[in-house]
Amino acid sequence: MKSSHALILVFLLLLLTWAGQVALGFFQVGRMEPILDEETNYPKPPAASGLAQTGARVFASEGCLECHSLSARGPTGSADLTRGWGPRRSVPRDYLFREPALIGLSRVGSDLSNIGLRVPETKDLMLHLYNPRQRNAKSNCPPHPWLFDTRLAGTGIENEALPLPSRDWQQLLPTYKAKALVAYLQSLRTDYSLPEAPLK
Amino acid sequence: MNIPSSSKTNLSVGILLVGSVSWALLGAGLQVLATLQLLVPSLAYLVPIPWIGYGHIAPLVSFLFTYGWIASGFLGVLLILIPRISGILSPSGRLLTGAAIVWQFAVLVGMAEILWSGSTGLISLPFSRSVTALFLLSYLILGSALSRGLGGSWKSGPLLPRLYLLGALLALPLGLGTAEVLLRGGLAPGALQIIMQFVWHSFLYHLWLTPLALVFLFQLLPALTGRPAGSLSLGLLSWIATIGFGGWVGNSLASEGPMPSWLQSAGVIATLLLGVAVLGNTLLLKPLLDGKWEECRRQVSLRFFAVGFWSYFASYAWLAFLALPGVRQTTTFTMVGQATQALLIFSFYGNVLAGAVYSLLPASRSIGWPSHPALTLHFWFTTLGAALIALAYALAGIFQGLALNDPGVPMSTISSYLRPFLVVALAGQLFWWLGQLAFSSIFFASLLKLFPSVAPVAIFPPDREATKQSLTPAHP
Ligand code: HEC
Repeated sequence: MKSSHALILVFLLLLLTWAGQVALGFFQVGRMEPILDEETNYPKPPAASGLAQTGARVFASEGCLECHSLSARGPTGSADLTRGWGPRRSVPRDYLFREPALIGLSRVGSDLSNIGLRVPETKDLMLHLYNPRQRNAKSNCPPHPWLFDTRLAGTGIENEALPLPSRDWQQLLPTYKAKALVAYLQSLRTDYSLPEAPLK
Repeated sequence: MNIPSSSKTNLSVGILLVGSVSWALLGAGLQVLATLQLLVPSLAYLVPIPWIGYGHIAPLVSFLFTYGWIASGFLGVLLILIPRISGILSPSGRLLTGAAIVWQFAVLVGMAEILWSGSTGLISLPFSRSVTALFLLSYLILGSALSRGLGGSWKSGPLLPRLYLLGALLALPLGLGTAEVLLRGGLAPGALQIIMQFVWHSFLYHLWLTPLALVFLFQLLPALTGRPAGSLSLGLLSWIATIGFGGWVGNSLASEGPMPSWLQSAGVIATLLLGVAVLGNTLLLKPLLDGKWEECRRQVSLRFFAVGFWSYFASYAWLAFLALPGVRQTTTFTMVGQATQALLIFSFYGNVLAGAVYSLLPASRSIGWPSHPALTLHFWFTTLGAALIALAYALAGIFQGLALNDPGVPMSTISSYLRPFLVVALAGQLFWWLGQLAFSSIFFASLLKLFPSVAPVAIFPPDREATKQSLTPAHP
């Protein structure tokens, strides 16, 4: 085989590989649009807030993906839905407004594609981030106390402070990163119906 | 002809290999720390420090192994091998040295980023855009030096290693460049980003590192054993299938959610067909090793190549097994991923790299490996370690997948059942680290010429002639 022939062949094979996935993928999922809800006129999936998008980056940088996935499967071949990890399976359109779009690597912990439905309360999520064992004494989820600031309580405890017994007049306040992360977690919910994945 | 380029490439080779050995040691140490945290979650409660937490260390470890240890090492030994088979000098030794330094600098910056501010969360792209730029800059120089040698020696030696090198040389810039532009240039919306991440993941491992490892197997196994690789047409078919299907493999590991279903099916089919290509290569290379037990025992490099070769087969057989429909659904998002990593990186690439260093470095440096117990330690500890890690994670992953699919088993029960496997994996990682430590000691001692260089290349005396012949070009 001549080197020029080999070069052309390699180039074609690589191009086919790349275009076969990325270009076809673009035509299939890259040009997707949200569905408008007929009653409310809101888009489905809902557009993520700026805070939640920042939170997606916090989620990635804290390495939550090493233990948590963001994709519910099923109903056949998987127990995800029976485990309560989502009202329906995740489909490509659900990731439309995710920036960055992430899927996760492992399920050392539970799937979080619907954590915004399972644990909707800000206080609960904050508490979990600060110390998961406050909510579940046996939790293996690592704590993230660096997402919180310790500050003197002053005359009164602020609204945002964690509901923990205060020591030495200190209160624990979520940093911007914690607020963004919680906004992101709350945005993770697929409780809307899509033509390709209707809610039962 | 004698090695014309050795003085010019010597420094760059040194930098790439010293970097490689150091990143491997560091990565292996951190890996132990990561596994310890999975095993004893309370550690994170005792010492809550962000940058040594599992979420930072786990992506860092695979970054260090892939880009630091294996990539840097492969580039280093290629810079020894290619000038020797082509007789073509690199344009400028200084430029190559600069490129080698830039590669190490990129790994260093990537490491600092992941430690301090965390990974980007993108699969196989955990670092920032500037690190990508550094890698590509360095690769532009190193890769073009390699391709000059490749083009100039196309006709003067076996075809298959050259074909694999050609595929690898093109795959990295195409994959990394487009992943960077699409993922961080805001050009890929939503689920397309996830498709692109898997494409890049496949390019990195199956179209870059695997073909590079095959360059060494196809070039050096015949040289070391004195036997030619068999049928060229089978080799060509396997090569086409490797380059044609390798880039699709990642899809077979992806979960259902964001991936269109045809892409998953394409991934499954490609993985199975790639398995056939690997079988073809196995049939080609296996006869070279048949009945060579005695040589494998005596020659350090051949021993590592033999294990590397069988791990090549095992890695892709394992990937094909994971792609089977029932298995795939059960094992996505489980620890089988770590088993695949252990097989590919530790057993396949790592052993091929070690074999290449043992056989090629003496030629470039005129140093000999002393017959030192550390060589034996290196081999047994890394082989045993890698096997333990792969086995433990494979079983853990399958078990974890079955348990996850049974909604009656709570998550906390699953984690407690996984503990024994993690203990075995941890032991394997410690073994591997010790083996690597033995290698590093002998590597650095040899580089510093602490041993009397009595017998350069003494590690393969009986086949020395065969080796020399194929390592030096057939120029007049
Ligand atoms: C070392 C692995 C690991 C990492 C890293 C990790 N988690 Fe967890 N996480 C777990 C495990 C195991 C559980 C299950 C135990 C529990 O319910 O607390 C869990 C549970 C959770 C839960 C409760 C889930 C439920 O169904 O109630 C949330 C929320 C959560 N993690 C969020 C996070 C976030 C956010 C991050 C990153 C900042 C993170 N986790 C990082 C292992 C991890």
